[in-house]
Amino acid sequence: MEENTVRVSESENIKNIIEIKNLTKNYGNVKAVSDLSFSVREGELFAFLGVNGAGKSTVINIICGVLSKDGGEVRVGVSDEKNDNVGARLGVVFQGSVLDMSLTVLENLRCRAALYGIHGEAFKKRLSELCGLLGFEDILRRTVGRLSGGQRRKIDVARALLHSPGILILDEPTTGLDPQTRSTLWSVISDVRKMSGMTVFLTTHYMEEAAGADHVVILDGGKIAAEGTPQELKNRYTGDYITVYGVSEEKIRELGVKYEPLGGGLRIFVPNTAAATELIVKHTELFSDYEVTKGNMDDVFLNATGKKLTEETGK
Amino acid sequence: MSGVNTNNIKNIRVYFALVRRNVLMFFKDKGLFFTALITPAILLVLYSSFLGNIYRDSILQSMPSGLSVPEKLINGLVGSQLLSSILAVSAVTVAFCSNMLMVRDKATGTVTDFRISPVKSQTLSLAYYTATLISTFAVCLFGALVGFIYLAFVGWYMSFSDVLLLLLAVFLLTMFGTALSSIVNFFLSTQGQISAVGTLVSSGYGFICGAYMPIASFSSGLQKVLMFTPGIYATSLLKSNATRGAFRALSDIGAPDALIDGIKSSIDCTLTFFGKKVETGAMYLVLCLSTAVLIAVYILQSAVKRKR
Repeated sequence: MEENTVRVSESENIKNIIEIKNLTKNYGNVKAVSDLSFSVREGELFAFLGVNGAGKSTVINIICGVLSKDGGEVRVGVSDEKNDNVGARLGVVFQGSVLDMSLTVLENLRCRAALYGIHGEAFKKRLSELCGLLGFEDILRRTVGRLSGGQRRKIDVARALLHSPGILILDEPTTGLDPQTRSTLWSVISDVRKMSGMTVFLTTHYMEEAAGADHVVILDGGKIAAEGTPQELKNRYTGDYITVYGVSEEKIRELGVKYEPLGGGLRIFVPNTAAATELIVKHTELFSDYEVTKGNMDDVFLNATGKKLTEETGK
Repeated sequence: MSGVNTNNIKNIRVYFALVRRNVLMFFKDKGLFFTALITPAILLVLYSSFLGNIYRDSILQSMPSGLSVPEKLINGLVGSQLLSSILAVSAVTVAFCSNMLMVRDKATGTVTDFRISPVKSQTLSLAYYTATLISTFAVCLFGALVGFIYLAFVGWYMSFSDVLLLLLAVFLLTMFGTALSSIVNFFLSTQGQISAVGTLVSSGYGFICGAYMPIASFSSGLQKVLMFTPGIYATSLLKSNATRGAFRALSDIGAPDALIDGIKSSIDCTLTFFGKKVETGAMYLVLCLSTAVLIAVYILQSAVKRKR
C-alpha cells in the first residue's frame, strides 16, 4: 500500500487543478473513503481506477459538490481561484446518460446550456462548434430516446462540453461502445485538450485508456493502492516479458525460468529489462527470434490490488 | 448593484428554461401524461355508467308533484356536477402525476446533472412547482373546455361570472394540489415509490374530496374527519360555482328554497363544520391559507435540504 500524497507541482507553470487532502467519507459504519489525498494537475489526463465499491463514485460526487464529505479538504480550481461556483468549471459525462429521453437533442442541449447562462446567439455558436467537433448535426431534431448508444454518448459529451469547462470528468464514458465510436470520442477529447488545455479526470475499466493517462491513481477499499505515471506503475508493479519463437519448450524449461506458451511462441517472465538483457546475452543461441515487452496496466492493477478490473467489477 | 441585477436576470432565465423543460417533459412523456388522465377518465366512466342516472333520478324524485322540471335543466345540473367533480380530482391527481417528474429526475440521475451546474436548488424547486402548476392548469382548462361544450349541448345555465369563479377555484385547487404533491414527492426517489404514491393518490383522492360520492352521503364520523381536509372545501367551491346557474333556473321555475338548499347540501355545494354552515368566503380562505402553508413548507424543505 502506498502512502497518500499530494503531488507538488514541479514547475510554477503547472498548477494543481484538483487537490484532495485527507478526504474521509463514511456511509454509516462503512468507510467509503479513508484519509485519501491526491492531486490532479492542470491540463493532464488523470485516470482514477478501482473495482466496484472502491470509492471512485463517492470521490467524484464530492468533487462535483453533490455529496458532503465527513473530513478533509477538497479544492477544485487552481490555487488562486475561489472554491465556489465549482459547477461552472466542471463538465461531467456520467456512467449512464442523464439526458431527457423524450426530448430532442436540440431541446436537451438548449436547456442544459441555459443552466450556464448560454442563450440565443451564444448557444447557436457553441452548438455549431460542438456539431463540428462531434458530428451530430443530422440528429439534432431526433428524440434522445431513439438514438443509438454511440449517438447518445456523443450528445452526453456535447452536453458536458457546452460551457467549455476547465475540467472534464468522464465516468466510464466508453462502456458498451463499439471500437469506432470509442475511438471517435477519444479523438474529440484529445482535440479539445489540445485546443483548450482542458483537464480530464477519467474512470474506466479499459486499461488501454488508462495507459494513455499522464497520471494514474488506483483506489482500493477507499484508499490509494498505487499512484504514478503508467510507466512508473509498470516498472513498480510488473516485470518484462520475452516472447521467443522457434525454440522448443524443453530448452526454455532448462533455463529454470517462469514461462507460458503463447500464440506459437513461449512467453518468459523476467523481473525487469536488465534481467531480460542478461538472459538474452547469456543464451544468445536461443534468442534469435524474440521480442521484449513491458507488463501492461492490467498487470499493474492486478498486482497492486490483487483484483482484476473488468466491466462488471469496475462499475 | 449591477452584478446583483445581472445575477437575478441570469437566475430568471435559468428558471424559465427549467420550467419550459419540465412542461415539455410532461406533455411529451406519454407515460406521465396518460397516467395523469386515469382518474378523470374513471370518474367519467362512473358518471356515464351509473352515477349520472342515480343523481338524475334522485333530483327528479325530490321534486314536488306538480312542478314540471325541464329535462334540459336536470341534465344541466347533473352535467355541472360531473364537470366540477372531474375538475376537482384533476387539479390534484394531475398535479401529482406531473410532479412525478421531480422524482423521476432523481431516479434517473438527471437532477445530479442539474445540481452539478451552477443552478441554485431553490430555482430548481421553484421550476418544478411552476411547471407542474402550468401543466396541471392547462390539462384542467382543457377539461373545463370539453365540459363547457358538453354542457352547451345538454343544458347550459352558467353565467360568465360563474365560469370565472369556477376557473378561479380550479386555479387555487391546482396551486394547492401542486404544493401538496411537491411536499410528498420531495421524499420520494425511486420508480417504485412513484408507482405506489401515484396509485394511492389516483384511487384515493376522488373519494376523500367528495368527487366520486358526495361527503354528505358518508357516515357522520367520517364526514367530521374529512372536514379537516382542505380538498373538501375546494370541491365544494367548484360544485357551487358550476351548479349555481342551474339552481338559479330551478328557483325561477318555482322550486321551493328549502328543496334547493336540500339538493345543494346533498351534493356538497354547502358544507357544515360541526353543525355550523361554512360560508363561501371561509372556503376560499381555507384553500388559500392551506396552499400558503404547504408552499412555505416546500420552500423550507428546499432551503434546509443538505447534501447527504
